[in-house]
Amino acid sequence: MSGFGNPNEIGVAQYLLMMIEEIGDGTAVLPRTRGHFPGTPNTLDPSGRLGTDLLTCIIDSIGGMTSGLASLPNWIVTTNLMVRRAPDALIGDSGTGPLVLDTQVLRRGRSSVVTRVDVNDLEGVAVASSWMSCAILTPENGPPPFNRPVKPFEREVPDNPIFAAPPHEFFNLSEGERPGIAHLDIEQRLRNPWGILHGGSSAVVLDAAARSLVIGRSTVDATPEAIVTDLAVHYLSPGRVGPIVAVATSAGHRGPDHLVRVEVRDQGADNRLMALAMTTVRRLD
Amino acid sequence: MSLLGLESEQNENGDVRGWMPVTPFTASPDGMPRLATVAMLVDALGGMRSITASDPDWAFTADMSIHLLPAGPTELLQADLHVRRRGRRTLVIEAELLADGERPAGSALLTFAVVPRPEHLVNITINMTPGRRKMNANSEHEKLESNYFDELELLVTTPGVTTIELRPVVCNTVGALHGAIHASLIDEASASLGRSVFGTDAITTDLHLAYLELGRVGPLTATATAIGGPANGRLAASVDVRDGNGELVSTATTEVVAP
Repeated sequence: MSGFGNPNEIGVAQYLLMMIEEIGDGTAVLPRTRGHFPGTPNTLDPSGRLGTDLLTCIIDSIGGMTSGLASLPNWIVTTNLMVRRAPDALIGDSGTGPLVLDTQVLRRGRSSVVTRVDVNDLEGVAVASSWMSCAILTPENGPPPFNRPVKPFEREVPDNPIFAAPPHEFFNLSEGERPGIAHLDIEQRLRNPWGILHGGSSAVVLDAAARSLVIGRSTVDATPEAIVTDLAVHYLSPGRVGPIVAVATSAGHRGPDHLVRVEVRDQGADNRLMALAMTTVRRLD
Repeated sequence: MSLLGLESEQNENGDVRGWMPVTPFTASPDGMPRLATVAMLVDALGGMRSITASDPDWAFTADMSIHLLPAGPTELLQADLHVRRRGRRTLVIEAELLADGERPAGSALLTFAVVPRPEHLVNITINMTPGRRKMNANSEHEKLESNYFDELELLVTTPGVTTIELRPVVCNTVGALHGAIHASLIDEASASLGRSVFGTDAITTDLHLAYLELGRVGPLTATATAIGGPANGRLAASVDVRDGNGELVSTATTEVVAP
C-alpha cells in the first residue's frame, strides 16, 4: 500500500463537503463521530433528496474514517457496505435537505472493524441505516495525520466548475450500450488517498447501472422514477486503471421493488471484478 | 440443521448445491420458506464451501445478506453457491436461490473471515466426496412436527423483541449461538414488529446481518426498531442482538412486507 495523500485534498470529499467531528475526547476504543452533510443543490435531486449513490459515498467516507480511527496506528479499507433507506423518506418532503450522520464503531477486532452509520435529516427524520466492514491494513507510510479528537474543518474546494456539477458529471459517468450498463472513466479527483478509485465512486456507477436497468433506458442522469432502496456491496479488488464498467442484471421483482445484481469491473486491469452488489431498485411511478 | 432436512452435493470444483424442503412449519404466509430457514441453508452450505476454498486455513461467517423474491408456494428450495473472492483474510460467497428448481427465489452474499485452522480442527475429517447427501445424519430420524420457531423455543416477548435460551440445540460447535439462529431471532423480531405496525401478517424479505461476537451467554435477545415509518406495505428495521450480559453480539437491518 502506498502512502496516504493529504486528506484535505480528496476530490470526492471536496465535492461532498461533509464536515466530520469526533464525539468525546478522542480516547474511546470504539470511536463515535458525527457528520454534517450540507446538501449543496448540485448534489440533491429536484425534491432536495440525496440519491443512494451519494448517500453511500458519504456513509463510506465517515464510516471509513471512523473505522480508521479505531484502527490507529494502522488504517483500513472498506470490504463491504450495507445501506437500507427508510421507506417513508423516498418521496415527498420527508428526509430531504442537509443530513446528519451518526457513526459508531461496533467492533474492533484484530483484522477487521464493523461500524454503523445512522442517517437523519435536520428534523431527526430517519433517512437510512447502514453498517460496513473494513479490513485493517498497515500503511507503508503511516496512517493519515489526524489530531484527536477530530474537529470539523473547512475543505478548500478547487476553483474548477466540475466541483459544482451534478453527480454524473463529477463522477465522469457515461451511459452504456444498453440499459443496465454504466461506465466511469477514472480522473484524479475520483481516487482515494491510496491512489485507487474511491469506494464511493464504485457505488455511484453501480447505482446508475441498476437504476438504468429498471427504468429500461440507457442513462446515467438522475431518475425521478426510480431509487435504490437497499444496497449490499462487496469490494473485491481495487479500481486502478479504468474504464470502470458496471453491468446490472435483473434477479426478479416484488411489485415495484426490483432485485438487481451488479458487477463492477476494471476493464483496463484485465477486466478484473472490483465489486459485486445486490441492490433493490424501487419504481416510484 | 437436522430439523430442516438440509441436503448438499459438492462437485469436483468444490462448488456446492443444496436443498431444503419447505413445509407448513417452515413457510411464511406466502408459502415461501421463512428467511430464518434460508439463512440456515446458505450458512450451512457456505460453511461447507468455505472448507475447500479456505484450505489449508479455516473460515467462519462474518456477515450475510439475503434477499428473497416472491416465488410462490414452494416445496423445495435449492441454493447454488459460488466463490466470488478468495483473499488472504476474507472469502466472499454468493448463493442463487431457486424455488422447485425453476423459479428465482432470491440470492445471498456471505463474507467469511479466513483464519489459521484452529488446533482442534487440524485433523478433522470431512466427507467431501461428490454425491448428494443429508447434511446432518440426525435428519434421517428427526423432522419438524411443529412450527420451526416453537421447536427452537424462540419467543416474542413484545412486538419487535424476541428471545431464546442458549440450549445445545441452538448452539454451534463452540457452544455459542449458531449463526443462523441469530437470523431467526432477527427475522421474527422484524416480522413481529411488522405485524404490529401493519395489523396483518408480515414477512421478513431482506436481511443484512453482521456478526460481532460469539453469543455465549443466554438468553439472547433481539430488538427491532423501525427505520423511519412504513410506506406502501414496507417497513425497514434495525435489529440488535444482545447476549445475557447485554453485550451486542450481532446487528442487522431488515425489510418487512405485508403480503
